Amino acid sequence: MMQESAQRAIEIDSVTKVFEAVGMEPVIAVQDVSISIEAGEFVALLGPSGCGKSTILRMIGDLTAPTRGEVRVHGKSARQAREDHDYGMVFQEAALFDWRTTARNIELPLKILGMDRSERAMRVQEMLELISLTDFANHYPWQLSGGMQQRVAIARALSVRPKLLLMDEPLGALDEMNREHLQNEFLDVWTKTRTTTVLVTHSISEAVFLANRIFIMSPRPGRVVKVIMSPLPYPRTAETRRDPQFFEVESEVREALHGVIRDKALDV
Amino acid sequence: MSAGWQKFWRGLTGKNMRALLLFAWGSAIIWELYKYLGRLFDDRIPLLGIGFPVRSSNVSMPHVWSILGAFFQKTNRASDEVLVTTLFGQAMVTLRVTIVGFTLGVVVGMLFAILLVTIPSLERALLPWVVASHTIPLVAIAPMVMIWGGRSGLPIWFPIAIIAAFLCFVPVTINALRGMKSPTNVRVELMRSYAARRHQRLMYLQLPSSLPHLFGGLKIAATASVVGALVGELSAGTGTGLGRTILNFTYYYMSGPEKLYATIIFSGLVGILFVKFISLIEYLACRKTQQGAKGRHT
Repeated sequence: MMQESAQRAIEIDSVTKVFEAVGMEPVIAVQDVSISIEAGEFVALLGPSGCGKSTILRMIGDLTAPTRGEVRVHGKSARQAREDHDYGMVFQEAALFDWRTTARNIELPLKILGMDRSERAMRVQEMLELISLTDFANHYPWQLSGGMQQRVAIARALSVRPKLLLMDEPLGALDEMNREHLQNEFLDVWTKTRTTTVLVTHSISEAVFLANRIFIMSPRPGRVVKVIMSPLPYPRTAETRRDPQFFEVESEVREALHGVIRDKALDV
Repeated sequence: MSAGWQKFWRGLTGKNMRALLLFAWGSAIIWELYKYLGRLFDDRIPLLGIGFPVRSSNVSMPHVWSILGAFFQKTNRASDEVLVTTLFGQAMVTLRVTIVGFTLGVVVGMLFAILLVTIPSLERALLPWVVASHTIPLVAIAPMVMIWGGRSGLPIWFPIAIIAAFLCFVPVTINALRGMKSPTNVRVELMRSYAARRHQRLMYLQLPSSLPHLFGGLKIAATASVVGALVGELSAGTGTGLGRTILNFTYYYMSGPEKLYATIIFSGLVGILFVKFISLIEYLACRKTQQGAKGRHT
């Protein structure tokens, strides 16, 4: 049993997160959630705002600690995994460093890791090719579009070849056209690297298109109410969006989500 | 580099400098108008009979042309130097003290800011005292620093630099500290996800983020260091520098009031030049990212 859980990429074991503030009712952001994710999976956490999906991601990434329960990453504590540079993170805001060029932004985590200069240069080149931004290596963030910035953020996260890629609504700030385009690119990158990925999103189509498993979450308190498998084979392309099976999964997810909203409508 | 110098040159000749010249010109006109009215009404407001706040005589308020002319008069009866030559020589003395003091103040201010940002509890304990130290009257501590410095074996001008440094470090510390705390949460968490050590976070995130704030502080520090140097020279035994020259011309005011005014104007120009120099460095350091601050942010 221990051996088995050590093989898992992520093991979330009955985790609860309570936010307490002075003079306020404690808020149960996440209640008794257990999730296990295998290496090489692309998993989506989907739900309305306030369902605790970001909190779960932040607990996996050791940005906040669970109140009860445990998160293990490849058999290690989340903290140890972070210290071992196992994580790449992407947030809604690209948060590139304004004073660094594209190449030097991608290089930063490698520099912190202590990788030597020539190896860094090679890795940065590789990453620039991965996101097709070689021509923009020496541009500053303000010279890039929002979509380009987000691609750089992904390259930066993947530069250390992390065991896990954690993404918190990475496309939330983009328009619909850019979103779909970048979803295709994400999947392209993921197909090449097969990095275990956890995506937090509130877009149904995004979750269905990208993930192989979708965790539907419900708010107040945040719980996983349903897990939906997406049997669509990889590599998925723009064609996949027109696949009848895609619509099938999409409506299954939508129904599950509507159930969540309906149940909660009375106390909103 | 050449773009930097062009910008520096534009700074000296461009809009700001034109505004400054316009201001100087306007002040000269008002000055002369006041003198004219004073002579016309015998320094009293007509009908009300209330006196003018300042007498308009040539001793209290020399003509603008006398002040400008004073630059090219002999400094005093015994010398064969014209005033502007003397002032340049004394300005070099003052600038040396100013630059040493400024550098010292900035280094100490930065180190202090880094210390406070590294140990937050120290910030709550010490920052109020840092700010309070800035309110100590400079004239009161200047003679003390001179006495201490006199026994230390350091160059005689060094205590003056200490006084200039003392005036500098507070604006540097406060602005650098604010700058180092300016990175957004997301950026701090990114560094956390890279398992960055404290010094790495400082080097790669906090110090670069502090630059725009820091330069605001540096410009305040630049003017403060000039003031510190001038005031320090008053109580120093060196007998040189623009501060001392101002004092000398105050002693011999009746024999040449226009020389005092000329020296004060010259000292002001030295200060402006020093601040402009800091602006040039700011431009060189931030030119790549300056656009980002103005432009989009995603």
